[in-house]
Amino acid sequence: MPAEDMGKVTSRMRFLFALSSVVFVALLAISPVKDLRREWKIYKRDYERFAQTRPDTKRLLADYHPGIDQIWIPEMNVVDRCTTCHQGLMQPSLADASVPQPFRSHPPIPHHVKDWGCVVCHRGQGPATEVAEAHETTLAWEQPILPTRYIQGACGSCHRNALAETPKLNRGRELLVEFNCVGCHRLQGITRPEMLAPDLTSIGTKVTREWLYKWLKEPRTILDDAGNTLVNGVETEEEPRMPKFRLNEPELRGLSAYLSSLRSQPVAPYKFDPRVVAAWEKKPDLVDEGEVRFRQMFCTTCHALAVTRAGETKLIGGDIGPELTKVGSKVNPDWLVAWLRDPQGYLPQAQMPRYQWSDEDLYKVTHYITARLTDSDLLTNVPKLERVKPEEVQLGRRLFLEKGCAGCHALQGVTAQKDFGPDLSGLGAKNISQLEFGESKIPRALVAYIQAKVTEPVSVNPAARMPQYHLKPADLEALTTALLAMAGNPSASGMDRLVVSRGEAAFHPAGAFGELYERYKCYICHRFNGFGSDLAPDLSFEGSRADRQWIINFLKNPQTLRPTLIFRMPQFNIPDREAAIIADYISMVLQSPDVNLASVDRKEFTPQLVSMGKQLYEVKYQCQSCHTIGSSGGYVGPNLSNAGNWMTPAWIEAWLRNPQGLAPGTIEPRRTFTDDEVKSLAAYLSTLRQATARSEATKGAGQ
Amino acid sequence: MTVRTWLVLLIVMLGAFPACKKNGVRVPTDPLSRAYDVEQDWNDPQGQIPLNFQQAQGKRIFYDKCVWCHADATPAGPSNRSNLTPPPPLMNDGAALNGLSDDFMQNIITLGGSAMGKSAMMPPWGRTLTQEEIRAVISYARAVAQPPYQPPPRPGPQYSAK
Repeated sequence: MPAEDMGKVTSRMRFLFALSSVVFVALLAISPVKDLRREWKIYKRDYERFAQTRPDTKRLLADYHPGIDQIWIPEMNVVDRCTTCHQGLMQPSLADASVPQPFRSHPPIPHHVKDWGCVVCHRGQGPATEVAEAHETTLAWEQPILPTRYIQGACGSCHRNALAETPKLNRGRELLVEFNCVGCHRLQGITRPEMLAPDLTSIGTKVTREWLYKWLKEPRTILDDAGNTLVNGVETEEEPRMPKFRLNEPELRGLSAYLSSLRSQPVAPYKFDPRVVAAWEKKPDLVDEGEVRFRQMFCTTCHALAVTRAGETKLIGGDIGPELTKVGSKVNPDWLVAWLRDPQGYLPQAQMPRYQWSDEDLYKVTHYITARLTDSDLLTNVPKLERVKPEEVQLGRRLFLEKGCAGCHALQGVTAQKDFGPDLSGLGAKNISQLEFGESKIPRALVAYIQAKVTEPVSVNPAARMPQYHLKPADLEALTTALLAMAGNPSASGMDRLVVSRGEAAFHPAGAFGELYERYKCYICHRFNGFGSDLAPDLSFEGSRADRQWIINFLKNPQTLRPTLIFRMPQFNIPDREAAIIADYISMVLQSPDVNLASVDRKEFTPQLVSMGKQLYEVKYQCQSCHTIGSSGGYVGPNLSNAGNWMTPAWIEAWLRNPQGLAPGTIEPRRTFTDDEVKSLAAYLSTLRQATARSEATKGAGQ
Repeated sequence: MTVRTWLVLLIVMLGAFPACKKNGVRVPTDPLSRAYDVEQDWNDPQGQIPLNFQQAQGKRIFYDKCVWCHADATPAGPSNRSNLTPPPPLMNDGAALNGLSDDFMQNIITLGGSAMGKSAMMPPWGRTLTQEEIRAVISYARAVAQPPYQPPPRPGPQYSAK
């Protein structure tokens, strides 16, 4: 441009200015247009149009608001704008599956959305106003929405106790305990129990080095090619508790050498009464008699055995104690006798009751176990292990700590390896950037990360020390849910007061009963005042329910009348004196405040009352649909043929008035009987007695 | 710089604007990943019916209280159903239950069979289960019904009291 033209406005420049102004205005206009086309505004308009098609348009539009909607709960740090698009969330008339999303109303839940917001349960980003940002993980927003499948994990971040509504979460927490995860990891809400896995201080006296080698190489419970869990080659529901550690040959030799050298408490062979030995030693049916006794004592209540029936082999029995199909090839016979006589002598925390053995029974049963429960092929794949070399023991001792064995197994002189693995108490709240994915190809999401870590630890980190577990899909899902619940302390300040802590009070009575209670380990199956287990009936109020003489008869000779139920009460051979102590304690102490034993007198039960009760039982209320008397009736509730000998009349009356008041979980519904009806029914049931009451007993069932 | 270059540049810039539009990311569509409960269920052997929270609670109550008579097998083994005459309908029997209204179902569960002119063997649950729990059981029965349950058409405008 020549110098003299400077400052001169040419027509061409004018045109240029005009054009750029127009373009500038157009550009400015784009912004409001874009704003009009915002994602959430499109949903708003769609909803308005959708509401016109509904019969209750007026009501729907009365709640409609064209701007951004949000649920704001300052004391919980909740700012959830989800209702901006999910506009029908609180409209009960939009519940049908035909209503298109995101307008459908929320299915009924115990927490109202208005009071809690959405993110508390669903996670994701509350303040976001775009679909992707609210639901997915983006660079700026880290917490993706929790798939509804795992949403019970969110319940668990506040509810630390087990809720009936969250079965998956409860199962997951059970699995965390069952698999001894707390042996290596710190986990929220799970405290380290006294014993996680057997104490190995004297393991050398119990099993051989060859057996240890095989066990360490391939624990008894394995997964076959088809994905079934097998115990000793038999399919089972049980997951392995001892996981498989990836050990090489020298490591196997070292660990087996070290462990088999641990013999701090040598086992002295037990001296049987010579008369018993002389009487039984040569008998051809010694082993068969032992098997009969083994069955009579209900060992299978806690221990499983592989049983072949009609060509099909199945594991039958409980899972409180170890499976015993091949135990005869595993343990030293002298150790077995010592163990059966006094389990707590070898393992102070053992759950096994101390039975009252007669020499004869002990002789028969141990011979049965060592002769029948064996497998000659058990150790076929174990190489010839020479004498233990000192350097192998050295290596084994080192490996014991390096592999984290002391996380679960106690060993005298070795400190427990608490927190050997990473702290998982805040895993559920971790953002993607806080997780180590390494080189792996796992989708970058918390659920995928947890599942990869649990199913195949080496897939995430090739140097992982975590052993190999075999989880069924349902269990994997439950475990993931429980881990997602470990979201650390609730971050929002207002939620601190919402955390429901887990409470469990131990029940360990003192005195003579207390000793027997520990000896027979009643609480391993029964529940007492909230402590114990649910395998067998809750006995907290047994003193109000059962007649003292009935209790004694039952303890001496436990039996059931119902073939459809699994009966599990072992035969402890309880002496009369002990049975009396137990029955006295139960009748005096384990009483319900709602049952006044003195309030009902059997003398009031006139024949008229009895016949009226029979009428009510058979015609008006048709109790026989669930209960059996004699040989007819249903089998949902207990058999009542011996109700008169079994239950106290006061209990029967209290039960008829409100069963759930005495046993909260019971199936029997609470009815609206009048006082006269209660009296008549109690009178009728009290007349039901069986002649052979001494040996027959019925037990609450179906639970 | 000529006018033409300016023009071209502007047009290119304008053309680039549609690229700013964001594409929404699809949330996974597998219906089961959006179900509260996908555990094994005898009333849904194929495991295809996604249950929401309420239906899942109904299922839990069913397996606790109802399964003993309204199924052919129970968690404890044999069912009590064969002991009863007339046999109670199965929980997923749509042919028998779809014709009954929610109100009727609510009443017969609350008050028992004899109050509704049916078998006295069906006990009343109104003092054991809450109305909320009974509603959950009905919603579960509706969810697993075979043939599937069709809710009755809504009559006219509704002004819900809720």
